[in-house]
Amino acid sequence: MEKPSRGSFNIPGTVINGQNAQLLTSTGISSVDSILGGGLPVGTVTIIEEDIYGSHAKIMLDYFLAEGIVNDHSTLVASLDMNPYNIIKNLPAVIHNDPEESTISSDSIQDDKMRIAFRYQNLPTSDKDSHNIGHYFDLSKTMSLADIENSDICYWNGQRIENGTSMFANPAYNELLKAVKEKIKEGKFFLKDNPSKRNVLRVGIHSLGSPMWLPSRDSYHLMNESRDLDMFIFCLRALVRSAFAVAVITIPTHLYHENSLDRCIHSSDIAMRLQTFSGTELENNFSLSDYHGFFHLTKLAAINSFASKHPGSIEYVFKLRRKKFHIEKLHLPPDLQEVGSSNSTPPSIACGSSNKHLLEF
Amino acid sequence: MRFSVRLDGVLHRMATINPLLVSLDIKSSDRVVSIKENGNVDSNFVITHLIKQILGDGNRMCFVILHNTLGHYQNVGKRLGYDFLKQIEEGRIRTIEPLKDIVEDIGNETNYFVDDKEQVVKGLFKSIKSTMEELVEAGSSRVYLVIDDISHLLDLGIDLKYIISFINYCLSLINDERISVVINTHVCSKSDEIICNNLNYVSDVVIEVMPLKTGVSREVTGLLNIEKSGKEQVTQFHFKAYDKGIKTFHLGESVYNLYK
Repeated sequence: MEKPSRGSFNIPGTVINGQNAQLLTSTGISSVDSILGGGLPVGTVTIIEEDIYGSHAKIMLDYFLAEGIVNDHSTLVASLDMNPYNIIKNLPAVIHNDPEESTISSDSIQDDKMRIAFRYQNLPTSDKDSHNIGHYFDLSKTMSLADIENSDICYWNGQRIENGTSMFANPAYNELLKAVKEKIKEGKFFLKDNPSKRNVLRVGIHSLGSPMWLPSRDSYHLMNESRDLDMFIFCLRALVRSAFAVAVITIPTHLYHENSLDRCIHSSDIAMRLQTFSGTELENNFSLSDYHGFFHLTKLAAINSFASKHPGSIEYVFKLRRKKFHIEKLHLPPDLQEVGSSNSTPPSIACGSSNKHLLEF
Repeated sequence: MRFSVRLDGVLHRMATINPLLVSLDIKSSDRVVSIKENGNVDSNFVITHLIKQILGDGNRMCFVILHNTLGHYQNVGKRLGYDFLKQIEEGRIRTIEPLKDIVEDIGNETNYFVDDKEQVVKGLFKSIKSTMEELVEAGSSRVYLVIDDISHLLDLGIDLKYIISFINYCLSLINDERISVVINTHVCSKSDEIICNNLNYVSDVVIEVMPLKTGVSREVTGLLNIEKSGKEQVTQFHFKAYDKGIKTFHLGESVYNLYK
């Protein structure tokens, strides 16, 4: 990545950010793309710290992979927790327009002519579409098998593991690195390669570092928290940096000590964390009832630039709909009635009564 | 002759105009400079600015790249007014790129992937030493050894004791009057901290880049602490990273910055 200076590469599903000389590709989720400043730079490693149940992080990974298949990117899927073929088989189906945008805009289009600011009449009301490279997906349907069979997908399930180096406590990490390198070599994704048609490799790794990745009992190394993980991420980044490849990894961090992943995050380029409300006391919080969890953007590296595009101290929340996984800024609703009234009135069994609006009587 | 003197003056002024370099105020008598990066704040800008100063003064450098790629330095360098790749071509910068070599080593169990980690460090130091010797012989200017993020050696599975001795070897280079060392470390775990503290102990200047304790701010990206040996006082700055450069200001001054 880094230097797409020789004109445009014309890879479908990518766009060049002229300002920082980066080739960007979509995560498959438009709201995440915009938070990241346009998309994932090719040549970077993204870490998603899983929520407790791992389901939402899995959905983000699904989006990332599905976006790749729609754009005819090559794909490498790896997991020890589930069969990678099943991950691909259950990817969401693509839909060709934004399911929610269209309904909103059809409602809000106003026929009346602007009389004062008439020059702005024909301008689009939002500038989102102009640089949107991603697609939309319907989570309730799965991608057609024909699409999947026609794409270049490499599955890695860790079945064939040789006991080679003892650098990693668990040789599976080493095997996966080898598999990624093999794939990059085979598909001519290295920056130095000169294939007839440039393409991007998407590497999706599901639940890296889960209990399935624990070292075998006869390994020499002590269980040093996340030593293997640190090494793996660092080496993977070196690999991905040297190629037209982009990696997204989900890690069940809640299984580790609190700060043991800091080195991983330092070695990665983008780090985000999902925190679901379900199963916690936030579940019953009235002001968060529209959402499913918090989305934390832990790190957004400044590549080819001084300043990171990190948006600062904004709190994000995510919600999952049938056709859309969406991330937005958290705005607390105006504190009108609920807090006060729910405190003063004793909890009643009758439903609906506590939700009565102040103005209703 | 007269022209070259004037040019030197211009170059010197160009280097001093940069507000960050003025704030850092690194002199050629500062032989060991360490940069400590805390939390998720990025201290890379310190290195890229120091490179500007090194090149502006007409010096040479050996650059060990473990964190960012050449492309990054080229892009950032252009914003600061130097052409990194051209400097490499002209031989004023020599690079050692473990990040690239690792890619070759995956699956081969060579160099960086051997079991004996002492060999890794030794190999790296040997290549540094030979490069430095060549640079010293090539001219009469000062020669800098710049290591971007030495803490990544930990990620290669190298034991702490070998990393410490690697640092010692690198510092032994400054026995030559014309050599200075600049090392960047990132601190987020216990072992990182040991590396960093060891390094700080022997440094002439410690530049510490920290995030704000209170969280994130729109006006200020982070805090910059500059500690020089022999002086007890720590100079503190706030800094704000823009796309094109860095602005520094004294604590509390950032408010005025808004109205400029």
